[in-house]
Amino acid sequence: MTRRRAPVETSKRYELVATALRANIASGRLEPGVVLLEGPIAAVMKTSRAPVQAALRILEEERLVHRFDGRGFLVGRPGSRVAPIRSDIAALGLRISDEIDSALQNRGLWERVYDEVEAAVAACLIFGEFRIIESELGEYYGVSRTVVRDVLGRLHERGLIAKTPSSRWVAGALTAESVRERFQLRQLLEPEALRLAGDRIDFDRIRRVLRHESARDPATQEPADWSQLDRELMDSCIVRARNAHLVDLIRQNRVPLAAASRALTNLGLPADEIAASEYVMLFELIADRAIDAAAIYWRDHLAALAEKNLARLKIVAVITDPPIGVPYLTSHDG
Amino acid sequence: MLGTDISLLEPVRIRAAADLGFDIEFEALDFPSCQRKAALNPEAYDVYDQCFHNLAIVWYWGALQPVDTDLLKCWDKVGPLTKQGGVDKYANRGVGDVPMNKLYVQPDHSLGPGATRYIAMLPTVHNFDSFGYDMRVFNGKVRPRESWGMLFDPRARGRLALVDEPAIGLFDAALAAEAMGVLKFDNIGNMTPAELTALFAFLRAKREEGFFVRCWRTGNEAASLFRQGDIAVQSMWSPAYYELGAATEFVRESTPEEGYRAWHGGLSVARHVAGAELRMAYEYMDWWLSGWAGAVMARQGYYLSAVSGLKAHLSAAEWAYWYDGQEAPEDLVGVDGHTIVVRKGAKRSGGSYLERARRIAVWNTVMDEHNYASRLWSRFVAEVNRRSR
Repeated sequence: MTRRRAPVETSKRYELVATALRANIASGRLEPGVVLLEGPIAAVMKTSRAPVQAALRILEEERLVHRFDGRGFLVGRPGSRVAPIRSDIAALGLRISDEIDSALQNRGLWERVYDEVEAAVAACLIFGEFRIIESELGEYYGVSRTVVRDVLGRLHERGLIAKTPSSRWVAGALTAESVRERFQLRQLLEPEALRLAGDRIDFDRIRRVLRHESARDPATQEPADWSQLDRELMDSCIVRARNAHLVDLIRQNRVPLAAASRALTNLGLPADEIAASEYVMLFELIADRAIDAAAIYWRDHLAALAEKNLARLKIVAVITDPPIGVPYLTSHDG
Repeated sequence: MLGTDISLLEPVRIRAAADLGFDIEFEALDFPSCQRKAALNPEAYDVYDQCFHNLAIVWYWGALQPVDTDLLKCWDKVGPLTKQGGVDKYANRGVGDVPMNKLYVQPDHSLGPGATRYIAMLPTVHNFDSFGYDMRVFNGKVRPRESWGMLFDPRARGRLALVDEPAIGLFDAALAAEAMGVLKFDNIGNMTPAELTALFAFLRAKREEGFFVRCWRTGNEAASLFRQGDIAVQSMWSPAYYELGAATEFVRESTPEEGYRAWHGGLSVARHVAGAELRMAYEYMDWWLSGWAGAVMARQGYYLSAVSGLKAHLSAAEWAYWYDGQEAPEDLVGVDGHTIVVRKGAKRSGGSYLERARRIAVWNTVMDEHNYASRLWSRFVAEVNRRSR
């Protein structure tokens, strides 16, 4: 099962971006003071913003870039007191080695297929067990068997699919037991990640979110979208914990839960109206730098959320014809 | 009024409309369709007439509003089975969705057994179900030791039916498997995925051995299976015993030594109901427990949660048979008011209300794994019914 790949290919996407930026800083193409913004770099590297964000954070730790009063990072060591140079990064002609460029592009295809398959698999989990037809999957996305195998291998690693004794891939049902276990895991990991993130939390961002929420007029505006607030919690707080493995675990553990939640909402079930206010409460504690209190609050919130999710899961039983919508997932017995 | 044909009977509708002076519409659906509609379209009904176990779904979705017991005249008359969890302190409370655990609205809006002024559902009809069997197959005239394990007795192979509802029929099968010593559940009212896997492996094996005839959804189907002589043993609902015709001679309602599978119905109010309509809903609930409707329910074997008004509407002979478990002093009529359903001298299986209510093994239940269990169940039922065609 295990095949060795070239080191560049196995690197994570954010590492590829970091390597490319590092090389351009070393060569002086990115001179001290150049303002680095996620969006333009992502465009140049033909990638999404998340890996750029992670790459910049690595470079910050390496003291190659630093934060300043404005948006983004400045090239150069912290305290180097250079004036910000705002130039169009696309015009600077960054050098990106062919090796890294092709790895980024390959991963692009691979990851896009992976993301779609993961979303489809995760969305069907609440409707019981499904078989994954490898040939259909390859045909549907127009990709080779190697890509299909890599995609399924990763899904397997993440515990979303399993192999039956007869060597068929199946997406196992999301049981109440596994929902309960995953929420227990969230209760153990997420408050701890908040503590570990500590001072590295993006407090400015959290305060901006709070200002935005307090300006919301309940008479004329819809209640806040809690999933938006959840993304803020991940991006501004949890991923900043000084433990990449912990952050990875938290991300993976959330995948089926988030998918189940989306699937339920898509069925037309009412939104959880008090969830958003609970995020606001959490963010207020974080903004006050009461991180311990925030961690405890979050743990208790997750315990209550587990019960709500178990109750939500029961109603799915009345949906007998699940809306699946991709040809490579078929009802297990069908 | 949205509900099932357990309690939405035409004579009840006509009488309620006459007594209360307003029009009433009944919409009776099967269990799954009923709970789906109740959860997803609460504006499509005013009062919901269903079972406590599906509050797990419908209440959570915010489809219903709390019922204020201070505004109910009948509340004080409701008996201890739902208010305290058992008919007396010696009663076996049963596991699973014990109605008391879903009765009271707690301060955080969840449901629980701690008494508060507000309830999610006014308890109404209920019963203690078991299985029925053809006594010619089992020991003839001699009453056998009655156990849920009889469902899979080799003598009944090829002549077994179960009710097709995962919150009901699944427990009949589980009680049988446990009674036979084949499986053991840590809590039969809240099975784990591993226990469900084992239960369905057991059912698959029994299907392959050829035990099942089919799975049914209404009491009428159950009665007709017995009348046609296709069945040796099956899940049964009380009204079906009174539709057996000539089969009454040899079909017996069991009193399983492991205990009954109990259920409890009730009335809830949809979230949107307010003003004059809300007052009408409360009047309807009070009317329901005042006696007349309960007497109709009694004539198909169902008990009412408030018995004080009932005796005025049941004859002494009816009370003796249905509630006291004594020999019927005379022939008794059924729900329609003229068909004889009980012959003089007959005795209700299991004895009096108190005796039966003390022997609850498990309640109809929407378990934590209900979604998972329902899908395994549907697959199993489809396999059984495919072969029966």
